[in-house]
Amino acid sequence: MSSRAADVIPAADRRSPDRPTPDLATSDLPAARTARRGAAAVLLDGVLKRFGTVTALEETRLRVEQGEFLTLLGPSGCGKTTLLNLMAGFLEADAGEILIGGEQVTATPPYERQIGIVFQNYALFPHMSVARNVGYGLRMRGVPKREIAARVEETLALVKLQGFADRSPRQLSGGQQQRVALARALVIRPRVLLLDEPFSALDKNLRGAMQVELKEIQRRLGVTTVFVTHDQGEALSLSDRIVVMSAGRIRQVGTPDEVYRHPQDRFVAGFIGDVNTLPARLETLSGVRATVALGDLRREVEAAALRDRPPGSPVDVFVRPDHLGVRPAGEGGTLPARVAALVYQGSHIDLHADLATGERVVVRVPGQGALATHAPGTAIGLAVPQGGLVAFPPE
Amino acid sequence: MGRRLSTRLLRVSGRLLVGLILAFIVLPAVVVTIAAFNERAILSFPPTGYSTRWFTRALTYRDFQTGLWNSLVVTAWSSTLALLVGTGFAIALKRYAFRFKGTLEGVLLSPLIVPHFTIGLGLLMLATGIAAGQGFPVLVLTHVIVVLPFVIRSVFISLQNIDGRLELAAASLGARPGAVLATITLPLLAPGLVSGWLFAAILSFNEFTASLFVTSQATQTLPVAMYGYVREFADPTLAAVSVIYIAVTAALLTFANMVLGLGRVLNVEQSR
Amino acid sequence: MTPAIRRRPFLPLFVVPAALVAIAITAGLAAILRFSLHAYVPGSLDVGGFTLDNFADLARPIVLRAMRDTVLICFETALATLILGYPVAYALVRTRSALLKSVILVTAVTPLFLGEVVRTYAWTVVLGNSGFINATLRQFGLIDRPIQFMFTEFGVVVALVHVTLPVMVIMLAAALAHIDRDYEKAAQSLGAGPVRAFLTVTLPLSMPGVVAGFTTAFAWTFSAFATPQVIGGGKVGVVSTLVYQLGLSSFNFPVAASLSLAGLGLALGTMWAVRRAARPLEAMGGH
Repeated sequence: MSSRAADVIPAADRRSPDRPTPDLATSDLPAARTARRGAAAVLLDGVLKRFGTVTALEETRLRVEQGEFLTLLGPSGCGKTTLLNLMAGFLEADAGEILIGGEQVTATPPYERQIGIVFQNYALFPHMSVARNVGYGLRMRGVPKREIAARVEETLALVKLQGFADRSPRQLSGGQQQRVALARALVIRPRVLLLDEPFSALDKNLRGAMQVELKEIQRRLGVTTVFVTHDQGEALSLSDRIVVMSAGRIRQVGTPDEVYRHPQDRFVAGFIGDVNTLPARLETLSGVRATVALGDLRREVEAAALRDRPPGSPVDVFVRPDHLGVRPAGEGGTLPARVAALVYQGSHIDLHADLATGERVVVRVPGQGALATHAPGTAIGLAVPQGGLVAFPPE
Repeated sequence: MGRRLSTRLLRVSGRLLVGLILAFIVLPAVVVTIAAFNERAILSFPPTGYSTRWFTRALTYRDFQTGLWNSLVVTAWSSTLALLVGTGFAIALKRYAFRFKGTLEGVLLSPLIVPHFTIGLGLLMLATGIAAGQGFPVLVLTHVIVVLPFVIRSVFISLQNIDGRLELAAASLGARPGAVLATITLPLLAPGLVSGWLFAAILSFNEFTASLFVTSQATQTLPVAMYGYVREFADPTLAAVSVIYIAVTAALLTFANMVLGLGRVLNVEQSR
Repeated sequence: MTPAIRRRPFLPLFVVPAALVAIAITAGLAAILRFSLHAYVPGSLDVGGFTLDNFADLARPIVLRAMRDTVLICFETALATLILGYPVAYALVRTRSALLKSVILVTAVTPLFLGEVVRTYAWTVVLGNSGFINATLRQFGLIDRPIQFMFTEFGVVVALVHVTLPVMVIMLAAALAHIDRDYEKAAQSLGAGPVRAFLTVTLPLSMPGVVAGFTTAFAWTFSAFATPQVIGGGKVGVVSTLVYQLGLSSFNFPVAASLSLAGLGLALGTMWAVRRAARPLEAMGGH
């Protein structure tokens, strides 16, 4: 019933009644996007999926808010695609419930879910023209011919493909094919737009431009979007919130800044952004903060994961390459190290150094000066920042 | 230098060898064509004169006329039925898990290994047992059984080349299973269906051993009639029929190769 | 990994017709089994009581000799087909000319779709005493009296090789087509000549196809009826001709049935043994 209504009311208008008043209970989200509790765009409650004896997705709870751009991020096999397939209805959950727009859809087949999906290879119907591809969903809904033509044209304009209506998908470039796939998914005014690694088949230059464009379209239409990727860069730049997954479990849910700067476990810290691991010793622990000894240095670290560890136990401190600094050897407040290799990266140099304790670290040095001043073999002092450090128990 | 020479020698002798083997393959067809135009009633080489009278006799010989008609009827029925049965089964085989799937597949593909004379004998005994005699239904059933493995294989390979995500995309766009089948799966499957039907038809039209067991004088197919003829006469009439057979089959295959890419259907294209 | 659409729309529509055909196949085999276990009543298609005599009947010399000859002929044919089929398959897969590829393919494959009767008849024209070969040889004065090809095992094998060659070429070509050409290039870059590269890389990798082709050629030859019947002319007795003789000439269904089953067992058993013996060869394919 709701899917019929959805056909008639344009997406932007349809969503407005649900536009919520700010809700303090979910204040970790940008207030404008926070929805009423009962009207999450997608709600997975205790959803679980097994393939034979392998658990692809452990019992999972996840809310996708109206209009937000949510990214499922993780390495292959982490369960993100399973989660996507469960939302789309291509897979049936072994336990738990799935609600879309507050409506129970756990047992609803894909063709009644009113969901748009863009596949990695776009899955354009090779035997249909661009216009017939885009109009497919409307034909399946029995929309009158004239309205189909109008909406197809409108949507092709939205993705900047006017004049391509009669082409065959085979005659299009990768970027154009992706626009057709996007148009085909959007023209049915989906309650949720699912994107399955849509950029991975594009070459690097095109990818950036398509990302910006997708984000613009998504913001303009306000369509709730669930995006699956293994590329942390894509996730950080596009998402309102990121769901980091591994081994069939959600590891952390948060804004890009939260997962980047305040990772909750080793996996998240290591998967998002480049990171160095420094061995250290726990000195004092108070709540979620701790003091650790890094050689002769003392540092305050985030230590939510160190609960119940006794003082003196070994811990790993995670620090980003761009947070470390290079100082002259022997300078106070630094760790002694020796340059092992310099890797030219254009705007910066990645300086690889070996600590006296044997660990290899990478320091991101802006500019190209380091090439001349820090030849391999040079002794240096490694400056470790006071803030922005996170510690985890050793593996 | 010596190496290059030996390589070239190898290549030339390889080509010669392949040429000879291909000559072995076409030899009977060539010889039978010459024999068909032979003027004399006794097969002899080289022919003393040329004539088309054996073609005339072949086309007017009653057994061949009824045999041809029977063959066309049986071929049309059995290849069409096999296509319907085989397409559905290939889809189920590729897409679904169901009870007795492996058993069913094994039984349906068994005519590739079980000798045709065994299949023919079995159906003859079955037909005798239920008093169906050697009528057309049993004959058509026999042909369906014999050609079905080829249809299943042809459709299955075509299904493998269809990206399953196309069907998922269609479903997400609101297409019910019937609509997915009608608007996505079957149109994309069309070349596989045409080639499956074509192969089924050619094989059915040529089927002999199993047919021999389940046909009577009234229902005998063209190959059975030809076999009967070769046992009784030694004139070149059969050569004329053979030439017609060879020409039609080669034409159909050349057509299939041009339209569908025989190499793809037979799965012998170099993968890279 | 693409998940299947959940549920199974149209499952009965897809499977039930196929299941009916499968039931017919099974019923046919069951009918053979039933006849094989019941006594022969001369002059009638009905059968007598339960008996194992039909199988004991198979111990006659004529039957045993037919079985032995069948297996021998099948082996000879499969082997000869393999030796002739490999170069053609190799040329088919590796030739760069699209035209040549089409020519080889259509030439090699056409006989597959020509029924046994046409092909067998054509061979009688080639092999007969006044046939093509003898006439040509006599023309050149190489022989005074025709060489006897008809009604010999040699003639039967030649015609059978012709019958099984297409399927062998197709199976070998399929195997060769899926071998990455870079392996051979890598071997040649390491200093192996074309022959060594072929012998050490391509040939071993194609072994699964060789074994599959051999067993299929074996099964096809076992199934052949018109060729041994017409070219063998009663002088070369094999299982298929004997079954026909018993079943349709003498209408001794019970013994025809028991011989069919014994033949099926013999065919499956031999193919199983071949596959088993060839397991080390197949392992070379690395799959």
